[in-house]
Order: sequence, then structure tokens, then C-alpha cells
Amino acid sequence: MAVDEPPAVELERVTKRFVDFTAVHELSLQIGENRFFALLGPSGCGKTTTLRMVGGFEEPTSGTIRLHGEDVTGTKPFKRPVNTVFQSYALFPHLSIAENVAFGLRRKGIEDWEVKSKVGAMLELVQLSQFADRRPRQLSGGQQQRVALARALVNHPRVLLLDEPLGALDLKLRKEMQIELKRIQQEVGITFVHVTHDQEEAMTMADTIAVMNRGRIERMGEPTTIYEDPQTMFVAGFLGASNLMEVDVVSDVEGRTALPGGIPVHVGPGKLTRGERQVSLGVRPEKLRLFDPAEQSLPSNVIDGKVTDASFIGVSTHYLVMTQPIGEVAVMAQNLGDHRFGPGDAVKVGWQPEHVFVVHQQA
Amino acid sequence: MTAITAPPPPAATSEAAARAARRRRRAPYLLLAPGLLWLVAFYVVPLTQLLRTSLQAGTLETGYRFTWEWSNYAEVFTTYRGQFLRSLGYASAATLITLVIAYPLAYTIAFRGGRYKNLFLVLLLMPLLTPFLLRTLAWRIILADQGVVVEALKSIGFLPSNGRLLATGWAVVAGIVYNFLPFMALPIYVSLEKIERNLLEAANDLYATPATSFWKVTWPLSLPGVISGTLLTLIPAAGDYVNVSLLGNPQQAMMGNVIQNKFLSILDYPAAAAISVTLMAAIVLLVIFYVRSVGTEELAG
Repeated sequence: MAVDEPPAVELERVTKRFVDFTAVHELSLQIGENRFFALLGPSGCGKTTTLRMVGGFEEPTSGTIRLHGEDVTGTKPFKRPVNTVFQSYALFPHLSIAENVAFGLRRKGIEDWEVKSKVGAMLELVQLSQFADRRPRQLSGGQQQRVALARALVNHPRVLLLDEPLGALDLKLRKEMQIELKRIQQEVGITFVHVTHDQEEAMTMADTIAVMNRGRIERMGEPTTIYEDPQTMFVAGFLGASNLMEVDVVSDVEGRTALPGGIPVHVGPGKLTRGERQVSLGVRPEKLRLFDPAEQSLPSNVIDGKVTDASFIGVSTHYLVMTQPIGEVAVMAQNLGDHRFGPGDAVKVGWQPEHVFVVHQQA
Repeated sequence: MTAITAPPPPAATSEAAARAARRRRRAPYLLLAPGLLWLVAFYVVPLTQLLRTSLQAGTLETGYRFTWEWSNYAEVFTTYRGQFLRSLGYASAATLITLVIAYPLAYTIAFRGGRYKNLFLVLLLMPLLTPFLLRTLAWRIILADQGVVVEALKSIGFLPSNGRLLATGWAVVAGIVYNFLPFMALPIYVSLEKIERNLLEAANDLYATPATSFWKVTWPLSLPGVISGTLLTLIPAAGDYVNVSLLGNPQQAMMGNVIQNKFLSILDYPAAAAISVTLMAAIVLLVIFYVRSVGTEELAG
């Protein structure tokens, strides 16, 4: 991709106000060519409204939307070079699967033989060739989902919008479709913009995630980056689980140590500024380790605690540990066959300084 | 894995099971019985009676006897050919006009009604609260020779100065259209209402202009409503006699008027029965043809 090529999707200070509330607030973002971009957030955060504005189903109250550098604000959906996979698929019940997929091509006035061959190839891609003559309601949810995908993809849109496309599927099928969608995206090389409230789904598929909350993007970046360093309280809580501890004063000269309830905590270098007030420190449950109180080789951060609950779920054991300085913390221990603690056991909870992330308090 | 086998059922239980199965097989027929009895008593029997009567010969004075009198039917197509064709013609024309008026009406209520949807529906049904006869009589006044409508049409040159609306075919068709409008509009409204709005967004997303979306998505999906509305209008309209009696004159007589006349005034039962049967058969044929051509698939869809 050339450096000066405009982004596939660009939103500039886009606001959408409905009668009584603002769904999207001065949102700006750029999505590069061939990216798998996920808009992640709880229901009502404005992610679907954002997607619908890109598709042309809602007009922004203010702001500009560009597709490959071209201003499409105010352009009707049928004139935009994007296609959408709708949440409930929106398949035409009166048309066969083949004609559903052919719908867009026929509107473009493509010749019948070409439509047929493209539809055939697309049904092959989503493995539904043998269902070409069926009606949508004769298909299962997963199959209908694939028809919806094929119907959008066959038009070779430059951007494909997916509005919670896997929401109606059961867990197993959803996992399969996640891999399938990723495969198809790599195969066809189209920019995907995916809306979901499922953080695992977003992490599985997307190469860039924007976490939305109350009409704004709270954090945007690669899945690993925003998981390891969520930066805001909301992202820390929404994307995976976090143990958060409030810190009053950062007193250490090098800015590495903070003091929750008088106990020293070491934080990785460069994460805290000296003299900063009111920050929260977070550690992911899987980064915490439990030790026997007699254990000698401990990480640099250790606090005492007592196991209040232990649930063994096979791949790991989830503990709840009551600690004096920061209350109850969640600890996830991978099942490596070592000693398991039970409720009532006295333990030491330890973690590495570099595993601490910092949430700077916002006003 | 060990398979868990259920103990074999004792003989007594299997006999009870067989009895239960017999009961289950009988149940649907027992449930159908009241309806079936009703249909036999008030549909099959009278229909057979009607068919029998239509093949009788004789006069009121001498009494009627069953003689396979097929000439009753021949008479329908010779003597009453005009009324017969007029019935089908007026009914078809009225149905078509009703459809043209009712579809945009139902469409607007369903898609643009917003929170006034229910109010519009009540308004649509309101005329039905007035008795059929009164509504039709009101049209006599509206279409009267010195009425506003006639005067207005004359002044813009749509009607010659001696022209009139009452006692013309137009008045009859207008009356039928008016009286059956809700029966057309309601089923169409229901099927439009059922269309998921995201289907139209999907069509829009797939490069269909609003007009194309209508013809490729909305219209085919509303066909079940169009078909039932059409049948609910066409069938009663073909047998209608009130609109002609009140808004037309004997020249516009339809089959309904002939049947009414034969049955109630002249008391020529065989002729009346033959006309009724013919009209019924014609409507059935018309409906079959119509449903076939519009597409039964959509109806089943």
C-alpha cells in the first residue's frame, strides 16, 4: 500500500444526535486498506450507529465520512461502494439462495451468465453450493449467516460492514465462523469493519480494535496492545478482567513504586510519572501467582491473602483471594499440575512489576 | 461406555399403550366432528339442494319436479348473458380500482404511519360501523344529479351539461369500491406490516434504488395480502346486488339482481338456482386462474 493512499474508511469529527441523546460524539478514526477492524463496546455505545453511518443508513448530524478519500457524507446507501452483513441477516425470504446472492449483481446490470458464474463461485467459497435453490428459511442459522456474507461479498465491495454478524449463533458455531470470517477476509483482501460487543470475538478476528463507550472511542490499537495497556478504567474492565487498586501518592524518586495502603508496589519503568496523584494500578488475573506462605523465591510484588473461593475449570483454576490492602482479587492459575489451593488457605499473591498497567485518572 | 437398557415393558402396559394410540388416532376426527357436522348441515346439504333445484322443471302453479332440466343453464348464457358478463366486469373493474386506491393507502399507514398507525386503522374501519345500506344510500346523495360531485365535474368539463353519475355503471362501480375498500386495505396492510424493515435496507445496500426495492422486495412480499384482499373484494362484489339497486338502474343489473328477482319476486327457483350455480362456478374458475397467475408460491410463502 502506497504511503499517500487515503484510508479505506475515514471518519472526521462525526457526531450523530437523535432527538433525546447523542449516540456518537465527535468521533474520528481511520481504517487502512485490507484491515480487519473491530468496533467493540457494550450495547448503546454507538458502535452500530457508527457502522450505519458508514453504510449510509443514518446521516451524521455533523462531520465527514470518506471512503478511499471520497466524501460520501449524504450519499444514499445504494450509491456507496460498501456492503453490509446485517445483524439478523435480512435475507430476502421470497428469493432462492442463489437469487439472494445475485441481488446486488443484478441491480448493477451485470449479464446473466456472469452473475451465475460469480454467484456459483461465491457459494463455493462459503460452502453452500448444494443449497443454491433453497429458500432462506430452509437453512440453519449458520448457513443463513454465510448466505448474508456471500450476498455482500459477491459485489466485491471495497469495504465490508458487519453488524454483529455472529450474534445469533451458538457458541461453537460462532467460534467456527470467527475463523471462517478471518480466512475469507484474508482470501478476498477486502477491508472489514466489524461491530461486536463480544471482546473475545474482536480479539480473535481483528487486527485493530476500537473500544467504544458512550459515543466515543476510548482506546484504539492492536488487540495485544490494548489488552496489555488498556489505559482507561472502562477498557480495563470491558476487555478482559482486571484487578484494580487505587493509589494515592506516587512517592518513589524513580517513579517506579506506588503505595496502596502502605505496601510498596513496583511498577515497570516509565509507566508512572513522579508525583502523580490518584492513579489506579491494574493486574490481569492470569498475571497473578499464588505462593505458599513459606515460599522463599518470590516476585518483587507480594501481598498476603486468604483464598475465599477456588473453582477448577480444567484448563485453569480461578481463585478469589481476600487481601488486606486491596480487597478481593481474582487469580487465574493455568493447570500445570502443581499444587492447588483450597478455600481458607493462607497464600501470598505475587506478580512482576512489568505486568502492572496504569490507569491515569481522568477528570 | 455401558449402555443403559430400559426393562422390557410388561404385556399389560403395551396393551394400554395400544389403546392410548387408538385414542390418539381418533382424537383429530372427534375434534373435527362439530365443524364437519356444521358444514354438512349448512353447506353440503343446501348446496346439493341448490344443484338439484337448478335441474328441476315446472312452474310455480304446477310445482317443480326434478327432470335433469339442463336448459335452465342454457338460459343463463342466453337470456342473462349481459348481466352475467356485467357481474364479472363490474366486479373485476371495482376490484382493480380498489387495489389501486387501497395499496398506497395501506403502504402509507404501514410505512409512514408512525405513532398514528392505529388511529389511521380506526379511521379506515370507521365506515364499517355504519350499516352497509346506509353507506350506500349516502352515495345516492353524493352522486345525485344536483349534487356537488356532478356539478363540479360538469364545471370542469368532465361531464356534459346533461350528464349524470347516478344510475350509471360508474356509480355502481364507485359504490362497490367504496364499500369494499377496507377489505382490500386491511390484508395488504397486514402483509406490509410484516415485512422486516431491514430487508429494505439490505436491498438499498445492494444497489437497489427505492423504486427497485419496492418492485423486487416490498411488492412480492406483500402479494399474500394483495391476493386475499382481491379475493375478499372480488367474490362478494360479483354477487353484489345492493349497489346496483341503490346506485344503478335496471340496465346495470348484475347477476345478484337477477338471482334476487327470481328467488324472491318471481319465485322461479330452478332458474335462480341455475344462475347461482353458474355464478359460483365462474367465480371459482376466476379465482383459480387468478391465484395461479399471481403465483401460489407467494401465497404459501
